[in-house]
Amino acid sequence: MVKMMIKRHTKVSIFMHWFNAVCWFFLLFTGIGLIRNGDLEPIGVWWPDLIRGIFAGGGNLLLAHVICGFTWIAVFIVFAIVRLRKEASFFIREIFTFSPVNDIQWIIKKGIQMTMGYKVLERLGFEPRIPEQGFYNVGQKLFAIPAILGGIVIAATGIVMYSSKFIMMDTVIVQWSILIHFVMAGVVFAGLLIHIYMASIAAGELPALISMFTGTVPGEYAEHHHKLWYDRIKE
Amino acid sequence: MKTQYAMVIDSAKCFDCKACVIACQIANGVPPGSYRNWIKDATVGDWGKVHFQPGNCMHCESPTCVQACPTGATYRDEKDGTVKVNSGLCINCGSCIPACPYGARYRHPEKKVVDKCNFCEERRSREEPPACVQVCPTQARTFGNILDPTSEITRLLKNNKTVKVVNPTTDTKPNISYISETEPMDWPVEARLPAYFQVWRNIADPLVKGLVGMTGLGVLVMLGKQLLIDDRPPASEHEKEKETHHG
Repeated sequence: MVKMMIKRHTKVSIFMHWFNAVCWFFLLFTGIGLIRNGDLEPIGVWWPDLIRGIFAGGGNLLLAHVICGFTWIAVFIVFAIVRLRKEASFFIREIFTFSPVNDIQWIIKKGIQMTMGYKVLERLGFEPRIPEQGFYNVGQKLFAIPAILGGIVIAATGIVMYSSKFIMMDTVIVQWSILIHFVMAGVVFAGLLIHIYMASIAAGELPALISMFTGTVPGEYAEHHHKLWYDRIKE
Repeated sequence: MKTQYAMVIDSAKCFDCKACVIACQIANGVPPGSYRNWIKDATVGDWGKVHFQPGNCMHCESPTCVQACPTGATYRDEKDGTVKVNSGLCINCGSCIPACPYGARYRHPEKKVVDKCNFCEERRSREEPPACVQVCPTQARTFGNILDPTSEITRLLKNNKTVKVVNPTTDTKPNISYISETEPMDWPVEARLPAYFQVWRNIADPLVKGLVGMTGLGVLVMLGKQLLIDDRPPASEHEKEKETHHG
């Protein structure tokens, strides 16, 4: 089993992951480009000016952002309904299941190990073995939860903003939707930085990245990184 | 030639016929009950004489509506000095409406987006003056380029004492001048930024930047450690056993 390849992701999961990634980056970059106000631009005026040039005007940029946003929402709704039993419910159950004592230890130890190494971990008096984790480790869960909830909030506030083009709603609702939309995108993006590092650059994580294309991980990797999941499926 | 469109209004000539208001509504598709321009009035003098004061968007040089717009849908066009709305980029947040001291902006009930005077851009493209200017029976309104030394408006500004109607706390440097002794003078309100905008600028923006910056820094620390330190997990009991077995 250790030498075998183990199925970790279905084709639909893989598609949803990369679809989400492409949409996220497109929406992030167009979204930042939609803010053009000296008091509010997160990275300066050069970006909105550049991307508005590429899209031939701010109106087109907003339209592209809205179309991509609604496509993203629609595909996820279809996924959640059609693949509820196959992937969605498993995913939701996994990311919301914690074992507090184990998980807190994991966060502290992994945090120290990732930034300062095993030697420092030992010198600080910790038993250097990182606690065993399930299908997702607690770090992945703590990113998945804000990504899911943040995604829902971002989608909902986006729908509110867009519907103000057709419904004469109180502008105060639109105003706070904009702010919440921006803040949630920022929070999820902060997590995304860690996610990208952990999944594609960090030492020993290459099999996880490859599995996001092939769907399978080596048994050895599964045993080392997701012991509780490995033990569960070993039989 | 550089262009700064502006208006000079001789309010003493106005007798409140409202032709300018109606002409504007027709020319610009402004629905009944909504207005891009107005006529204010004030009782002046001992005999209770009423003075009328026509007005519209003042196309200010430091427009507070532009400062309040998060997307830049409302902007000052440097080519002709007018304040414009790109309705395709407008997200209907309404931030610009209380930010105008003159109440020159309203939400168009059919188009749903914000609307205001644009000095009749469409008519000007056909070499016609703004509708309110053309229709005024007493020619109280004069429109033109104040940077053109030969224009009628420049001559009026040179030959008359003029005043601008501003709020004392928010002087937006308006581009409508009134030939002196106009009334009322005290009606523009203080420009107001909506609460969400202040929370965004003062709290949310630094918070999000701080959070993204901190996580970015965390990633850099992890990357640095990965590149600089040869970090191997201590051999587990299982592996130690194997090693001793082989040895």
